Amino acid sequence: MKNKAYLGIDIGSISTKAVIIDDNNNILTSEYIYTNADPINAVKTLISKLKNKFDYNSYKIVSIGTTGSARKLIGKMLGATIIKNEITAHAIGTINMHPDVKTILEIGGQDSKIILIDNKVISDYAMNTLCAAGTGAFLTSQAKRLNINIDDFGLIALRSKRPIKIAARCTVFAESDLIHKAQIGYKKEDIAYGLCKSIVNNYLNNVAKGKKILTPIVFQGGVSKNIGVIKAFEEELKQEIIVDDIGHLMGAYGIAIMSKKYEDDLKFSFNINEFKFETKVSECNKCTNNCEIVNIYKNKILVDRWGNRCENGLK
Amino acid sequence: MDNKITIGIPRSLLYYKYNTLWLTFFNELGIDTLVSPETNYEILENGKKNTVSEACLSLKIFIGHVNYLKDKVDYILVPRIVSLENEMKLCTNFSALYDIVKNTFKVNVISYNVDVDKGISEQDAFIKMGQELGFGKELILNAYKVSKKEEYKQRKINYLLQRKKLNRERTKVLLVSHGYNSNDNLVGKIITDNLKKYDVEVIYADIINPDNREKLYKNISKRLYWTYNQELLNSIEEYKDYVDGIVYLSTLPCGPDSLVNEMCIRKVNKKNITIYMDELSSTEMIQTRLESFIDIIKKDDIYE
Repeated sequence: MKNKAYLGIDIGSISTKAVIIDDNNNILTSEYIYTNADPINAVKTLISKLKNKFDYNSYKIVSIGTTGSARKLIGKMLGATIIKNEITAHAIGTINMHPDVKTILEIGGQDSKIILIDNKVISDYAMNTLCAAGTGAFLTSQAKRLNINIDDFGLIALRSKRPIKIAARCTVFAESDLIHKAQIGYKKEDIAYGLCKSIVNNYLNNVAKGKKILTPIVFQGGVSKNIGVIKAFEEELKQEIIVDDIGHLMGAYGIAIMSKKYEDDLKFSFNINEFKFETKVSECNKCTNNCEIVNIYKNKILVDRWGNRCENGLK
Repeated sequence: MDNKITIGIPRSLLYYKYNTLWLTFFNELGIDTLVSPETNYEILENGKKNTVSEACLSLKIFIGHVNYLKDKVDYILVPRIVSLENEMKLCTNFSALYDIVKNTFKVNVISYNVDVDKGISEQDAFIKMGQELGFGKELILNAYKVSKKEEYKQRKINYLLQRKKLNRERTKVLLVSHGYNSNDNLVGKIITDNLKKYDVEVIYADIINPDNREKLYKNISKRLYWTYNQELLNSIEEYKDYVDGIVYLSTLPCGPDSLVNEMCIRKVNKKNITIYMDELSSTEMIQTRLESFIDIIKKDDIYE
């Protein structure tokens, strides 16, 4: 008799993460790759990488959960037993890893959020709404402009003695501000740390506006890998910030835990590469709403469609 | 009048407040009406094309409805409502609507002008409008009174139906938004459809008791400059203990909402989420936010 295992996948705008856990929420194996704007192939690569690491003689995957912005597509593709938003998934994962956590700061590639936890229960959250300034995408593009490798960005920022002030309300304005500062000869490290501070300020003034940030504070998402931003948070909040090595996996971990409730006799196969998945988008044209209908094909057979606002769209 | 005329009514903005009043009034006078359809993308596109970019989404939608009606009817009803109570105002859009439409399209507009603060009541305004259409004062007054009665009846029914929903054993959410947003096909319906999908009962803050004389809003703010926002405050106070959470829905850029909603978030102790809609809002983004909000207020099946 094989032991039960649960697979969680978090498909974000920048990276795709997978975690397989056992009955006691221990992580058996995990994987992290870039999405490269191609979630279907990213997940295929991910699954074949997991295949090489996973001990399928002792374990059998009995449930799959997907989360992240491509959760629906990938969920349908893999036959997921639960598809949930990334906010809930992150919170559940973090509560399991840090039972006493009170605040989760999360800055990802395209969005940022704050989740407040009260006694292991989510009590409040907020997410950026109309603007992606102050997210990973912003940092990456500015690093490129400064000709700094994004992996070294934090280290360079830490060298700064006099960080510059950068208008952070908008990526475009921040960029012109940054160019101006560069043109009058500011040091790269001061600009880099200025950017880290601007991200933190933007986050605290927009996303976390009006929320009470209590300790322990856990910082997650791709941007949490940037030690410049961690330092800027600690300076601003005057509190210790917890960043753990598997912070980037927390969404996948959370959804794996949540999937345990939705165990099923799965036909899941690690040989997903044998299937060809395709998405075709069509306009419905059946009424003036003109919904965009997303059609998912598996080996050229339609397996699912969504996007319709009324029943007409499915005819 | 010899020739039978048709009056076009844009299904937007004040329509959601006054549809019963308007339709009954014109019907009483024997005038045909044509109400534009539910907002669709074509209407929205035409609204965007014919407005300045700074206008709020709701106004853009309204102009799109006027555009839809402009070649189909003899007149389009565009009232100018400045104030409904002493020292109270509506959003400036409602004062400007008549002029905006007149300056955007070559259309015949039939209007009525209410400014209680300056002593022009709704009844006076309706009489003047009726006279412009060629009717006698007595006939107009009669039609107005019948319509007012009908309006009251409809509002009371809506209110009582909503009160009934409050005692149901389901997760309930109070949608705090102007009627023209919460009922619009491309604004509020996207939210309410999603909430219903998660088996959540939606309570509408814009459905108010026509007999209400209680000034519950005073618990949040002594006096508010905007009548419609004050009504929403009243609803928050009336319904907040029955619901599990509040969704503040606003279209961008809305001056009154941006101030009032912010104040409510601080003063009303209830789990809440704010959703701003503009012409670019994607349904996916809204779904993610709503789903996580419902996870928080339902608190059941997400924990081990």
